[in-house]
Amino acid sequence: MQLAKRGAEADIYIGEWAGEKAISKVRSPKPYRHEALDATIRKHRTIHEASFMSAAKAAGVMSPFVHFVDPVRAEIIMEFVEGENVRDAITPDLCHEMGRYAAMLHASNIIHGDLTTSNFIASKKLVLLDFGLSYYSERLEDMATDIRLIKEVFTSAHIAVKKAFPRFMEGYASVAGEKKAGRILENVKEIEQRGRYARVT
Amino acid sequence: MLCLGVESTAHTFGCSIVDSKGKVLSDERDVYKAPEGSGIHPREASRHHMEVSSDVLKQSLASAGVSIKDIDIAGYSAGPGLGPCLRVGAVVARTVAGFYKKPLVPVNHALGHVELGAMLTGASDPLVLLVSGGHTMMLAFSHGRWRVFGETLDITVGQLLDQFGRSLGFASPCGGRIEQLASLSQGQYLQLPYIIKGNDVSFSGLLTAAVRLASEQSHADVCYSLQETAFAMLAEAVERALSFTSKKEMMIVGGVAANKRLVQMLEAACDRQSAKLFACPIRFAGDNGAQIAWTALQEYVATKKRVGIKESFVHQSWRLDTVDVSWRP
Repeated sequence: MQLAKRGAEADIYIGEWAGEKAISKVRSPKPYRHEALDATIRKHRTIHEASFMSAAKAAGVMSPFVHFVDPVRAEIIMEFVEGENVRDAITPDLCHEMGRYAAMLHASNIIHGDLTTSNFIASKKLVLLDFGLSYYSERLEDMATDIRLIKEVFTSAHIAVKKAFPRFMEGYASVAGEKKAGRILENVKEIEQRGRYARVT
Repeated sequence: MLCLGVESTAHTFGCSIVDSKGKVLSDERDVYKAPEGSGIHPREASRHHMEVSSDVLKQSLASAGVSIKDIDIAGYSAGPGLGPCLRVGAVVARTVAGFYKKPLVPVNHALGHVELGAMLTGASDPLVLLVSGGHTMMLAFSHGRWRVFGETLDITVGQLLDQFGRSLGFASPCGGRIEQLASLSQGQYLQLPYIIKGNDVSFSGLLTAAVRLASEQSHADVCYSLQETAFAMLAEAVERALSFTSKKEMMIVGGVAANKRLVQMLEAACDRQSAKLFACPIRFAGDNGAQIAWTALQEYVATKKRVGIKESFVHQSWRLDTVDVSWRP
């Protein structure tokens, strides 16, 4: 297997599984983290990721097919998805689609936990990755945390893309309805106002 | 061209004179010391600043070997920070600007940290980790502003250390004492909450858990575990932001940059992402007048923007990502 990318969380290798192109995602130990802490985090996130990739599919969100999971090595072997990273290929239409995906997850009480443009692949359909920080919750606040994160990404990394966040929220509302989308937005504002040095308006 | 910078956002009252080449001609400061077990009382700190202000100003002129008439610009820290403290610095700068007819330039304190750090370290396009009592933010420059790529959702890492330290009876700032105590631990890691929310971190739950743990465990082990947990969260957040932005430079500034364990962890994180770490020199990592002087000077040279005495302001809340930085390429 060949190291394709050293991500923040894991090393990505490209190889084969049963004759098909596949990806091995290994959460290798982080040298700066205390061993006990490191081992817990890696194992926990690997198990979460694999199970939420399946849960996402049931919620209607495309995610790679899982072939094999090894919690001890913190490794997941999954289907290779052809396509471009949305971080580098972002368009207003993709923002709309990302919003739809977020709403579908939330409808099943799945909080992605790391909803950022680099975790989406623009393939034939949009594919969502990296469920390591995902969890179940019915709380609006937790859903709003997902939305606040992608808003932060839009206003930092993608500041040049006009209307990225409004398009995202249109997509969100098209699934969740205007009422829920509005309540989520209010909650996002609340979280932002708790932030450091935010002007309270 | 010479610029006077007056800093007074929190516990430090500082005056510094910087020239247009970025040479720091003087950097004088006097730091308010809180009583044991307590934090910075805004009223007491501002009284301290008031009392030392004229001496610090005089001293900064003397050590730079210049007269107040040689100063071309008066910059002051206009926020974010503690209102009563900010007002002292603003009054000093207004007085100099008004009496000697110099342009008055308000500076965002956080921008000062970042710009001085970049100048001193020579980092050209870094991902910045700003860690202090007031800030915990990851920033990168894009389209005319420092944009936030990740930050704390509640308290800062400086507040985490200070509030935990105060619960043990130390006086703010407590980072040094905690680092010292942690070094006495045998490396016994006690489980504490590790909260990463995408690119962001949250420390409030960690604080509550650590304070509770300190009542039943050895303080050295709790300090050690607190540092290991909080700094690993920051290192992971930095790694995520480096990976996302593909930046090859990383810079750390702010008071908490003085912590050796944090810098060590960031080195390892940068190493994994093939990025070069630039650490702001310890002396200029914490609050100082030079960060204000250098930023005011750059801004004034580039934009000729100044404020009248009547229009001059302080803002207790003033986010860095709302400040236009037109002079940076």
